[in-house]
Amino acid sequence: MDAALDDLILTAHAKDDRAALVTLYSRAADLAEDVDTECFFLTYAHIFALELNHPSQANLRARLVAYGRE
Amino acid sequence: MAKDYIQTDITSVQQPVEQANGLANAHYIDPATFAEESEAVLKSTWAGLAVGADVPNLGDAKPIQFLGMPLLLIRDKDGELRVFENICRHRGMQLLREAKTIEGAIRCPYHSWCYSTKGRLVSTPHVGGAGHNTHPSIVKDDLGLNEVRSYIWRDVVFINISGDAPEFTEVHADLIARWSEFDSPLYHGGADSRFELELAANYKLAVENYCESYHLPWVHPGLNSYSRLEDHYNIVEYGKFSGQGTRVYRQFKAEDGSAAFPDFPDLSEKWDEGAEYITVYPNVLLGVQRDHAFTIVLEPKAHNKTVEHIHLYYASDDTLAKNRAVNTRQWKEVFEEDIFVVEGMQSGRHAPTFDGGRFSPVMDEPTHCYHDWVAGRIAQHRG
Repeated sequence: MDAALDDLILTAHAKDDRAALVTLYSRAADLAEDVDTECFFLTYAHIFALELNHPSQANLRARLVAYGRE
Repeated sequence: MAKDYIQTDITSVQQPVEQANGLANAHYIDPATFAEESEAVLKSTWAGLAVGADVPNLGDAKPIQFLGMPLLLIRDKDGELRVFENICRHRGMQLLREAKTIEGAIRCPYHSWCYSTKGRLVSTPHVGGAGHNTHPSIVKDDLGLNEVRSYIWRDVVFINISGDAPEFTEVHADLIARWSEFDSPLYHGGADSRFELELAANYKLAVENYCESYHLPWVHPGLNSYSRLEDHYNIVEYGKFSGQGTRVYRQFKAEDGSAAFPDFPDLSEKWDEGAEYITVYPNVLLGVQRDHAFTIVLEPKAHNKTVEHIHLYYASDDTLAKNRAVNTRQWKEVFEEDIFVVEGMQSGRHAPTFDGGRFSPVMDEPTHCYHDWVAGRIAQHRG
């Protein structure tokens, strides 16, 4: 993962900024170079989106379902 | 199986009030006896847990310990009140440590399994390996939160831990009918209309004191000027409920002498000056008057420790805060006056020769009625 993005994710975790985590893990998933890595990050984004009732929740879930991961 | 305590004799309790003794000391001071009694009295009946006003908004969730059990009171996304065990079905981790509003899903802080506010398991991240969120052996429909049977009456959340009690409306049919005139919307007064009192005493002593009017002139002398002992009557329904009533309730007045609060709608003449104070066995104390009502949920923290959760309700959500505050203060003074009595009786239960005491057949029958009910539950439990 991009080092800057990694830092942003760690900072968001430290602040417990879950909305930011949805965005940042989604970005990490978008940048992933293989399906497993993409689904790994999508899982985090989806879980935090579920918890927050975030508007991207359905889309994130659909991506996981499409890969047979949810 | 051998028991690590001696079962109490309850036969002397289940006698006519003229001959009966009260429950033995052990029911108040012995943890093992209290544990046995709790199975019979608190877990297999409809016990009061909380009030709906504790979780007023959609998604509000509040963890509550009840007899050591971790429970979760939640108002789901459709407004329905539910009680769950406050644990994840995965590794039994406590889900919520403090009250919060659930915006979307309840996320377990351990491995992030997620549940809807209706208790449905909705996601199991990485359960099949990294990025694989399903596994054939983990069937979500089988692993929702464990729900505790509950029923809401007069905003009180009653729970039946054992899951096999007759329906609440069946158990309390007579009481529900008795107060059917008050079957109208209740509006909790909000933050200024709730308070807690901690008692170094068994919760049953709070019930026993609440049920009878005998103590009023001695413990609450401020009531004597208008609410004398002879203005009260006993409410006694053996096997069901008990309490007391008054025929001289005075409507709560504002500073200018006008009625401070609107009446509950469509009450009959009986309630112009009538009021009743009844215990919903085992642990909920209710009071109804023409212009407001109150609820006391007794939380049994231990055999010798109780928290009274007190809530005041009105017939309208449009009442003045200053009037509510005065009303709350006055009730708080009354309920605080009872503390030394309840705690004094708790201390008294350590006297080794105390035999449970006796009852005035005239004045104490509501209290005997409660003892008789508790003894009956224990007898049934013992088989």
